[in-house]
Amino acid sequence: MNGAYFVGIDAGSSATKCVVLAADGKMLGHAVVPSGFDYVEAAEAALTGALGGTPCTREGIGFCVSTGYGRKNIAWADRQVTEITCHARGAREWYPQVRGIVDIGGQDTKFIWIDGRGELIDYRMNSKCAAGTGTFLESVAVRLGVPLASIDDLAMSSTARSILNSYCTVFTGTEVIERIKAGEPRQDISMGLFRSIAARVFEMSAARDGPIAATGGVVAHCKAMRRALEEILAAPLLLPPLPQQAGAYGAALLAREMAAETDSPQRAQSSQREQSVER
Amino acid sequence: MGAAVKRVEIQAQQRLRTLMRDYFLDLDAAARDPQRRVAWCTSVGPCEILAAFGFATYFPENHGALLGAKKVSHQYIPLAVSAGYCAESCSYMNSDIGAAIGGYSPLQEAYGIAGPPKPDLLAYNTNQCREVQDWFEFFGRRHNAPVFGICPPRQLGEVTPAHVAFVRGELERLIHQIEGRFGLSLDRRRLEEVVALSSRASTLWREALETARARPAPIVFWDGLIQMAPVILMRGSRLAVEYYETLLAEMKQRVHDGIGAVPGEQYRIYWEGMPVWPRVRDLSEKCLELRAAVVASTYCNSWAFEEYAGGDPLEWMARTSTEIFINRAESFKEPFLLDMFERFAIDGAVFHNARTCPNNTNSRFGLAQRLREQHNAAVLVIDGDLSDQRFFSTAQTMTNLEAFIEQLETRRRSGNARRPAAQGAGR
Ligand code: SF4
Repeated sequence: MNGAYFVGIDAGSSATKCVVLAADGKMLGHAVVPSGFDYVEAAEAALTGALGGTPCTREGIGFCVSTGYGRKNIAWADRQVTEITCHARGAREWYPQVRGIVDIGGQDTKFIWIDGRGELIDYRMNSKCAAGTGTFLESVAVRLGVPLASIDDLAMSSTARSILNSYCTVFTGTEVIERIKAGEPRQDISMGLFRSIAARVFEMSAARDGPIAATGGVVAHCKAMRRALEEILAAPLLLPPLPQQAGAYGAALLAREMAAETDSPQRAQSSQREQSVER
Repeated sequence: MGAAVKRVEIQAQQRLRTLMRDYFLDLDAAARDPQRRVAWCTSVGPCEILAAFGFATYFPENHGALLGAKKVSHQYIPLAVSAGYCAESCSYMNSDIGAAIGGYSPLQEAYGIAGPPKPDLLAYNTNQCREVQDWFEFFGRRHNAPVFGICPPRQLGEVTPAHVAFVRGELERLIHQIEGRFGLSLDRRRLEEVVALSSRASTLWREALETARARPAPIVFWDGLIQMAPVILMRGSRLAVEYYETLLAEMKQRVHDGIGAVPGEQYRIYWEGMPVWPRVRDLSEKCLELRAAVVASTYCNSWAFEEYAGGDPLEWMARTSTEIFINRAESFKEPFLLDMFERFAIDGAVFHNARTCPNNTNSRFGLAQRLREQHNAAVLVIDGDLSDQRFFSTAQTMTNLEAFIEQLETRRRSGNARRPAAQGAGR
């Protein structure tokens, strides 16, 4: 290991997040940029953003872990780790008591369960459909012609217990229009939208108990999402200081741990995934 | 970077290619020969009876799998849907019906034949699902051929003599139907011979699969998907027996030489449910990269029947087709799977939730979760389909698999891995 700083980069489908840690694990910088068309370019921009204002330069990076949908595209990362492991690691650093992690991202939603040692017990990801993800919310917002932030504000002012019933993104859009026509208040329709996402998330919860933290961009930006989750989980959620950066933070923490392991020659030898395989 | 590792191909494969070619060319010839008859049959029988009557036997499920592996199912399914079949019904059935309507068959390119042989008879067994019945009915109407079948009692916990006696009666009924329809008389001696050969092939197949108890495993699920063809298509023939003798010898030699199907095998995985045919290559390569050897599966084991020790061949057929895993209750499946996990020293199990095959999916009634919670098994459920790639997300699944291996890695490090009792058989 050369450099004294550790970097985690989370190349998500909508946003790329980066976190820089000092040698002692303290977070020095972080950034979120849109992923756009080019994961590599976005990763560069996120890294530049996260390094800005820190004493760390690119040369000072000791180890980097990439995660997220585009993790394999970041050639300069030393290791790739899935977002499941990274989100769990990040959330646990903020809340050692955490057992469940709900992550609502742009294209996928995850429910992760860990034990007291931080070991992954169980996890679920939405399979193919975008219902229950950030993309789902955005598509309904586009259909309504209002910014996502307004839907959030509207939802927070609702007092009704409405929920949208459709399972798929397209049908939900249609259901929203029908309800508008039927004269249902916009606040209630908006809150119903968040509740329908929360219901999808709840299905992934595997009926387990324990303190739950919420991460990801949707939770970071929408108060109504947190409200809907707390209602359905019937428990207060732990909300990290930087929910959207939880994966990148976890990746940076893992980078720091992996650097320590690869420093020990014994570990370096047993690193299993580094041999190339031909078929 | 460490040294590059080369995967050693299975030698018997050469012979398998010839066998398959001969099999399909013979079917094609049989369909055009007025002296011969062709029967279509479900993969779990009753092919022995058909063979004893002298029918050349063809298996539409194999054609469904070929369409899936060719990655064309989703192009033909809409043709079946427009003909009134639900888009979420069996994608083997839908793609096979759709391909027939669209005039396509992968057999055209592979063997230069027009497609599946025209049937004189279709015989099904609903021990796996009712879909096969309606699938065969479609082709019965299309080819104006009789459709006969047997309907064993389904989803059994314990299999009782009364169940077996009932199914035996179903088989007798089928024999009478065929005799009446075609003016034939079943040679019961011949049936005994066919059943003995069928059982022998199946036993050898099971022994070949069992060699994967060794570390490293000489054969994995992905190989099994190819190697299992003769035990389905040529069961009851000497060719299948000879083939599995060769394969078994090769696998034993591999165990002796320490040759693994996954070089540097680190994790031992169980695959529950149907394969994802259009993504077999991607999945096997991902497993290779992750050093994960899929050493056992319910699917490949489904044709590993109990040995026939002489006596009433119909009784053996009735028993095997009733006792088969897919036809059992979860009270049977749960201990069966746990036993497989022990014997193959499994680190984790992947359950494939196949969208269009609830019959061969076992994650829909809490079984996966019970194995995880009550038996500390590491279990992953992935969503997909056997043939229709529109129900499968490669990126999501690959992330799921990688995360699963990360989970197994942490379990191992923390000493929380489920430690199986038996290991390394066959060495
Ligand atoms: S068992 Fe499943 S895949 Fe096989 S024919 Fe029946 S429904 Fe189709």
